[in-house]
Amino acid sequence: MKVLLIEDEKTLAYEVEAFLKKAFYICDMAHTARKGLEMLGVNPYDFVLLDLGLPDLDGLKVLQEAKKLNPDAAYIILTARGNIEDRIVGLDLGADDYLPKPFSLLELQSRMQAISRRKFNLNTQEIPLGEFIIDLQKRVVSHQSNEIDLTRKEFDLLSYLLLHKNRVLTRMQLSEHIWGTFADDDYDSNYIDVHIKNIRKKLGAFGQVEWLETVRGVGYKIRK
Amino acid sequence: MKLISKLTLFITLSKLAIVLLFVLTLPYLIEGIARNYTDYYLQQQQKKVLEVVARNGVETYLQGEESYGSYTMLKEEYISLEPVEKGFVLDTIYTDERIIEQDTLNYRVLTHSFITENGTYLMEVGKTIETIDQYKRPLQRIATYVLLGLILLTLIIDLFYTRFLLRPLDRIIRTKISNKRFPFNENSVPIKTTTTDFRFLDDSLISLMEQIHEAFEKEREFTANASHELMTPIGILQNKIENLMGEPEVSDFVQERLIGMQKTLNRLKRIVHSLLLISRIENEQFSKKESVSAAELFADVMDEISHRFNERDISLKIDISSEVILENINRDLLFQMIYNLVNNAIRYNKPSGFIHIADRINPDGSYDVDLIDSGIGIPEEDIGTIFNRFKKANKSEDGAGYGLGLSIVKSIADYHHISISVDSDISQGTTFTISFPAELIRS
Repeated sequence: MKVLLIEDEKTLAYEVEAFLKKAFYICDMAHTARKGLEMLGVNPYDFVLLDLGLPDLDGLKVLQEAKKLNPDAAYIILTARGNIEDRIVGLDLGADDYLPKPFSLLELQSRMQAISRRKFNLNTQEIPLGEFIIDLQKRVVSHQSNEIDLTRKEFDLLSYLLLHKNRVLTRMQLSEHIWGTFADDDYDSNYIDVHIKNIRKKLGAFGQVEWLETVRGVGYKIRK
Repeated sequence: MKLISKLTLFITLSKLAIVLLFVLTLPYLIEGIARNYTDYYLQQQQKKVLEVVARNGVETYLQGEESYGSYTMLKEEYISLEPVEKGFVLDTIYTDERIIEQDTLNYRVLTHSFITENGTYLMEVGKTIETIDQYKRPLQRIATYVLLGLILLTLIIDLFYTRFLLRPLDRIIRTKISNKRFPFNENSVPIKTTTTDFRFLDDSLISLMEQIHEAFEKEREFTANASHELMTPIGILQNKIENLMGEPEVSDFVQERLIGMQKTLNRLKRIVHSLLLISRIENEQFSKKESVSAAELFADVMDEISHRFNERDISLKIDISSEVILENINRDLLFQMIYNLVNNAIRYNKPSGFIHIADRINPDGSYDVDLIDSGIGIPEEDIGTIFNRFKKANKSEDGAGYGLGLSIVKSIADYHHISISVDSDISQGTTFTISFPAELIRS
């Protein structure tokens, strides 16, 4: 997957690049809108991550131009403006998603994965996990032919852990993903643990769940 | 009491007092005037008599008699002449009783001694004052009626005039003071008046409001810019920490430290987020054109926050009418407002406590929702400041509360002209009452 990151804040751009490379994306960077459009004219990209607050051109105009040059790419808008209007206009202009700054890199990857599933129909829909099969599209977990009934939040939690498998996710990261801005600031509370306990209990009734690990003092991870 | 009422009352009372004084003193006045007139009349009579005596001699009256006395038909006046010893001098006017033909009558009497060739004589001229007394009462009565009528007439004129005079003040109060909502966004139009005091008052108010508005604008701009500028470095830090945590060679010890950093950074992020949200609300960047059913809104909040109820084992009772529709609102903001209030009710609740949410439609069409919790309560001296930024009712050691949750609630409520009142008993619980004005309600 080829990604173009158009972001004038270089330090931020390097962090995003480093993260995406680790997640096996090929990442190009442009620090100005003009450079970005130039690169879009030459190379085909699967993803364009576009900062709206670029110094040389209006971000929404850049989006329009970029869509003409590279209509097949998936566009994710990154912005610190956080205006609801920006978001609506951005999505109207054909952006696939919108991430307000500051964003979590894990969240960015999760959004990119979701777009991949939706837009490119890539990524196998059904992911095996131990004795279980997880269908991200239909949002179902099954064991052999039995569908296991998880709540919406339990499923979100499981799929987020699965997406970032082999990586420890902290309770804070998990709750931020699930509750967004409504995540409670009281991180030491145990509601993530309650959800994990429920997931283990529900899945444990059918098979082994040792792949879902508790990392003491840190959080949880799925080992695969 | 309103100024116009006070003025009217004062004018009425002062006028009444003056009229009363006048009516009460009227008899004495009349008496005085009548006496003066009578005295003058008696002196004229005396002059006439003396003229006659000087011209024709005293014998004209005496006709050979020792003395002379005469009165008019109805005994209103009389005259008498009688000789007195030589050297007797008397010249006075006084009021006295006289018995004339068995009638005792009050007379004003002038006595005067004079000398003629026949000897010294004392002249008495009298005029009854009974008739004057008869006039006193009706005069008093008529004066009362006339004056009361006059008072009424002048009062009506006064009332209209003061009303006209005070109209600019009324307009100042109506346009500049009552109905005025912070932060005074709209431009104030100076009122028309020729009264310099009102002109001064109005000008002062306008300039004060402009100053407040300016100061508020600056603060708001600063908050928005500062928060916005803070977001980028926060984002960089957050991503750096995330990348570092993903490195396989990071030891458990460092991992734990990184989590600590992440928490602190997140706290910073939340504060900046909250400040930005508040400044956006104050900037009126949110549309208020949505409508939502109250029951649905509360159900959505409860759905979002249910994990916190379970975690703290708090029971919830919710009685929200399914008929009430909130309109001209921003759904996301109201959601956030209710979420923050419920979240607080959970956070400051006792383990296994309860939260009760109930609503009522008031006769005037407004709509109240009570959020009752069995929490630790808020000390009375803190209730006034809980909505201020960076204040918290419960100064918990974990630093979990930033005191911005309720500030956001306040901003959202103000933005929608919703009022929130707090009633709390220490260790019994707190009731937040959210009052939606009638114009937000369609039921």
